[in-house]
Amino acid sequence: MKEENYQSIIEEIWPKLRKKHLYPEIPVPKVRSTPDPEQGESQEDEGVGLEMKHKQMVINGAFVSQMKGKMGEKRIVEALLDHGITHYTFCPWDFHTHLRLYSEAKKVMGDKELAKKVSNCFIDVIADTHCVKKRFTEIPELHRNLRKGAVEEVIASLYQKIWGIDLGIPSSKIKGHADIIRRLARIPYLDRSRWGESIQKFARSLKPLLVEEQKEQGAKGGKGERNPQGEHDLNHYSNEEIDQGLRDHARQTMALSDFKDVVEDFSEELKGVGYGMEGGMGRGQGNPIDADVLFYMKLAENYSIPLKKLPLEEKGSLHPHSHSPWEIGSPFQDVDIWTSFGKIMPGITQIWTRREGKGRGKMEGTPDCLIAIDSSGSMINPRKSLSYAVLGAACATNAYLQNDSKVAVYNFSDAPMGGKDILSYTDRREDIYRALCKYFGGGTALDFEDLMPLIQGRKNLDLFIITDMKITNLEQLVGFFGQIQNRVTAVHIGDNPYAARFEKAVEKRKNISIYTVKRKEDIPHIVLGRIRDYFNPNPIKKP
Amino acid sequence: MKSSIPPKKNSILPSDRENWISKNPFEEFKTFTASTHDLPLDQIVQSTEAIMDRIRLGYEKLLEEEAKELVWMVQYNTIIKAYEVAEKYVKEIDYSAEDIEDFCFALENTQKVPYLIPGPAGVYISALCNYAKEEEIALKLSELKTEINLIGFRLPKGKRLVIEGDTGDFTGIGLEGGELVIEGNAKNWTGAGMRGGKILIKKNIGLHTGEWMMGGEIYVGGRVRGLGNIVEGKVYERDKLVYPGKVRYPNLYY
Repeated sequence: MKEENYQSIIEEIWPKLRKKHLYPEIPVPKVRSTPDPEQGESQEDEGVGLEMKHKQMVINGAFVSQMKGKMGEKRIVEALLDHGITHYTFCPWDFHTHLRLYSEAKKVMGDKELAKKVSNCFIDVIADTHCVKKRFTEIPELHRNLRKGAVEEVIASLYQKIWGIDLGIPSSKIKGHADIIRRLARIPYLDRSRWGESIQKFARSLKPLLVEEQKEQGAKGGKGERNPQGEHDLNHYSNEEIDQGLRDHARQTMALSDFKDVVEDFSEELKGVGYGMEGGMGRGQGNPIDADVLFYMKLAENYSIPLKKLPLEEKGSLHPHSHSPWEIGSPFQDVDIWTSFGKIMPGITQIWTRREGKGRGKMEGTPDCLIAIDSSGSMINPRKSLSYAVLGAACATNAYLQNDSKVAVYNFSDAPMGGKDILSYTDRREDIYRALCKYFGGGTALDFEDLMPLIQGRKNLDLFIITDMKITNLEQLVGFFGQIQNRVTAVHIGDNPYAARFEKAVEKRKNISIYTVKRKEDIPHIVLGRIRDYFNPNPIKKP
Repeated sequence: MKSSIPPKKNSILPSDRENWISKNPFEEFKTFTASTHDLPLDQIVQSTEAIMDRIRLGYEKLLEEEAKELVWMVQYNTIIKAYEVAEKYVKEIDYSAEDIEDFCFALENTQKVPYLIPGPAGVYISALCNYAKEEEIALKLSELKTEINLIGFRLPKGKRLVIEGDTGDFTGIGLEGGELVIEGNAKNWTGAGMRGGKILIKKNIGLHTGEWMMGGEIYVGGRVRGLGNIVEGKVYERDKLVYPGKVRYPNLYY
């Protein structure tokens, strides 16, 4: 049957399928044309019936043609679409669930490929079981007719047991794996809240079989058979879903190592969907993915910290500045009737020349920000475990960048001895995060000569410093803050005598706000650029 | 002249009511029934849960009786008494080997089992294994974070218990003729007081191995860190007989 005929089948059954699955927001599935070997088109994907990319399901015409001797074409298409739709409506539902299941499977399997395989199997079992339980579907018939390897036979035997439908697996084959099937049948597949522990049990039970299969495939020197119901990769998800999934995963794991493991395992796929870094973690081609930077980036997106705006001196609109003689053709609306004596006459009539005005407007704006971050030995290494300092600074970075301001980073440890990294004002998020994630791990001292070039010449500039305050030249820092008028947000990680001393020393300075971060929950309480008595019209006196 | 006919009221409903109903966009949901089939899976999961609840309850009762202050000292008397209590609860439950494995993992889930005390937990698991219907029990515990003590306690003749993963102290103590296979490491006091049967440890074993053992055999695939005071029985290290023999002395570190 030709491609057009399959498309007409889809169009015929699609309204019924939509109704059956309670009207999911999925576009009408398409049909992929049968590969033409004469034109050199590959036939290796003949075994895959369904592809899913960005919510678009594509039926493989070659697969349906190949299967049509065993069951009706309409039934094949319906079964494949039932399966595909259930992935969107039940399992995995979103990218975060997919990642969560994968990371749980990885804990048991240890191997990336095996973990991917087992999580894909698990997702399929859930989707098919849900469909068989809740809808009238042709999925069992499809499974009866699919070509099966060792693992697929075990899964089909499992279906026989848990669905109570004969799928034509001979009992001799079941006996060989009876203990595995018994274990698999005890898993509560449809209980979403227990998917985490369920996939571990699923992986534990299937592990020997999958390891054996992997060895056999390795010996043959090729890849295994592809999943006829479609592979589960990142192509399923849109870029926004991937962003959201990574954000949720970072928030829920809150563990750098877990996140890093998953991102590194999916690095190829992430690169494929445009997560290749250009010196950071944005979309674009470039260097390998820096999982640490991505972790803080995604985690920081979960927090929103307020940023007080500042009345800025901004360029105003055009205003009448001086007179010039009117000429024929000049606009009448610029004529100054008072100096022209009410006449329109060349040589007498004068028009206003307008100029762009400057003045303190009422519009509020956000200044640029200089972030000073302590990466001395007393601080947590952000590339080893979750650093609240980097997370806090990342949240501040996001707040300023979202307001179209630029951010500079002064990452210091023992700065006078060279333990520092300076990033000039930029709006490139990746570069900023990279600078924030740098860790020196030495002593703690600021070099104010480094800071001056970053501050000088900028009338409006916010300062954000995040440290544990165990700074050798803390007195100098207090003195420095005493001289500047800029809004300063100082965040200290944990309580200690140095922090108390700093607080005491700057308590009278209204432009300095101090916050303590002991837990991650403290981060949203930070208010950037807050000035005590902000609405007090009296200007802050110079010391 | 005014007409006597009253003015016609404008109705919000269309004249053809049936037609209006058919245009209701939600109309088809009136007839929609979500068909849910009862699958064998539902029954399997339900019965598994019920059994697991009973196993958990037995363990909690054991803790209530034997570890009131959540402290349990490993002594001859305490082990015997805890086992007797465990036996009492275990006998009442109809379970399979898979339920025992599930219980081992449930022990690490604080939402399911609030307290994991390795001693009583090991005694309880041993009682479960000893009273299980199956003659051969395989427990895949390699992903378990806790090494459970006292596993294989009093394993009777005719039973074979295979543990995938490492076990804690007092593995296979008081073995009564069964075969205990540990596909991993075992810690100290393994096989202490065993009367008969066989213990096979695939990897290494700790100190006091076979302390006061009265019979049976211990086979160790890796290293024996130290032998205990053995009364009778045999200990093999990598197929080489190390007890009885003059090569090894009790409680010496090798």
